[in-house]
Amino acid sequence: MQQALHRAAAAWAILGGVLLFAIVGVTVTNVAAFTLDRIAGLVGRDVTGLPGYEDFVRLAVSSAALMLFPYCQARRGHVAVDILAETVMPRRLQRVLDTLWQLLIVALAVFLAWKMTLGMLETYADHALSRVLGWPVWPFYLPGIGSLVLWAAVALADVRPGRVEA
Amino acid sequence: MGALEAIGIGGLAVLFGLLALRMPVGLAMVAVGIGGNYALSLAAPYLRFGPYLDQFKTLLWGTVANYDLSVVPLFVLMGYLASEANLSRDLFRGVNALFGRMRGGVAMAAVGACAGFGAVCGSSLATASTMGRVALPELRRLDYHPRLATGSLAAGGVLGILIPPSVALVIYAIIVEASIIDMFQAAVIPGAVAVLFFMAVIALTVRLKPSMAPAAVAMEPAARRAALLRLIPVLTIFAAIIVGLGLGLFTPTPAAAVGVFAVLAYGLVLRAFGDGLTGAGIVRALKDSAVTSGMIYFILFGAEVLKGFFTRAGLPEALAEWASVTGMDAWLVLIAVLALLILLGCFMDSLSMILVVVPFLWPTLVAINGGDYAVAETAAFGMATTDLKIWFGILALVVVELGLITPPVGMNVFIISALAHDVPMKEIFRGVLPFFGVEILRVALLLAFPALTLALPQLLSG
Repeated sequence: MQQALHRAAAAWAILGGVLLFAIVGVTVTNVAAFTLDRIAGLVGRDVTGLPGYEDFVRLAVSSAALMLFPYCQARRGHVAVDILAETVMPRRLQRVLDTLWQLLIVALAVFLAWKMTLGMLETYADHALSRVLGWPVWPFYLPGIGSLVLWAAVALADVRPGRVEA
Repeated sequence: MGALEAIGIGGLAVLFGLLALRMPVGLAMVAVGIGGNYALSLAAPYLRFGPYLDQFKTLLWGTVANYDLSVVPLFVLMGYLASEANLSRDLFRGVNALFGRMRGGVAMAAVGACAGFGAVCGSSLATASTMGRVALPELRRLDYHPRLATGSLAAGGVLGILIPPSVALVIYAIIVEASIIDMFQAAVIPGAVAVLFFMAVIALTVRLKPSMAPAAVAMEPAARRAALLRLIPVLTIFAAIIVGLGLGLFTPTPAAAVGVFAVLAYGLVLRAFGDGLTGAGIVRALKDSAVTSGMIYFILFGAEVLKGFFTRAGLPEALAEWASVTGMDAWLVLIAVLALLILLGCFMDSLSMILVVVPFLWPTLVAINGGDYAVAETAAFGMATTDLKIWFGILALVVVELGLITPPVGMNVFIISALAHDVPMKEIFRGVLPFFGVEILRVALLLAFPALTLALPQLLSG
């Protein structure tokens, strides 16, 4: 179960990475169009950039960013301050605390998933649209909500010690 | 001080307590933010808790759906791709072909490569570990003294934070609402000063103690030519980004995206010659950047929640008022703040520190300086608040990084020590010491001559 969740988290993060590549592709196209426009301007022609480019980046990165969370959890990548724990704190206390923090992460992820779902429903009811492109905003909440659920699942599966390679 | 401010201060204390108990930084910030708001709602019934919780419907999404922040995962991805494509190795070998003929030249090349790679990848720890892996074997093979070899690499890792495009600079600019471009421009001269100082330390060390470094051997002409040839594309990509951002020719997100594209394309071209990016390498880069970016985004969200708590508690205003009532000397406060940052830097990583500390320190400094609209003639620091924002940011980032090479924790030293098993930690700290010395000198210079920081943005903005 743990292993399967870690694999899912890794695949989900790579999907987020592919979204980042999409941002790269759109941005490079946009930059190229602006450059061409400058050149074409010399001979009196117009090449237009992509309208609503910043809008697209904003929406895409909102999904991509949250899709990285579960895998970061699987690799225990969320930074903490080690100094006290590694020097003076007894091993057992350390383990108890680590378990406690892990459970708090689960609680936080579930809480955020629940609130964000409510947020999505409101955004849907309000027909909120992105500023320039006019795309509905609510579908972009979905990958985020999925990420939070997966985040909670990964953290919960990792509560019991016993490490799995991510 | 009212009850609300007391809760604010208490929250701050609880935050540091939780951090000491190894609670993940982002989680601790969110927990104190939510818990603190609950305490506030008990103390002041008009600060109702239910409506506060409703913010979370959109707060997380609103934090990550940010165009300016998109530059963070992109630069992180570019750094890991560059590392997977072995560009860090090409950079070191090429710079080495340039400098290698001096005594101590290979160590200087390592520092130069650290600066270049650190600028692009934006994380001191990743720089120390990448360049350590590339340069340390070479330095040891050539019989450099372990102290000099490990010291230059551990210290070299801190150079990246100030050289644009630095992720830390972007994040500072976003918190205090400064222009990212202004910050990049301001960082150019202080960053260059550091590189020069570090190289001078190495030159001086080998001048005083020639036994620290071997006599330079000329490289084989063919090898040298090959190294220089491979340096050209790397240098072109990195320099285009650094100079372009430094001079404000383009904005950060396009620069980062074009950078990712260029590194990817070049890595795939190299693939044709049996080097460069493999499919597995790209997947590894994606996974590693997921870990780094996920961590940064979580802390950013934590900072957002924490800021909501501090603001509702009225903490920034209270601190500012306290600072103005006690009438402490402005410079004394600033130096105390910097000393505090160095101290905290020994225990925390720089990004979390900036995000925890700057949101409540910055308003205090503004109040001391004479408010948001202070003009240079009457301000306590002798500069307008917009300039103070830039100047303080650069100073803060420099000292934040110092913690990475300060005993007892010094994360960079740990990383290098993990790569050089046979060199005792004490020896690495001794090697770092002269670099630490010139860093203090640099902070003093930046404090004494704000023009070093402010001249370039003022010049370029006209």
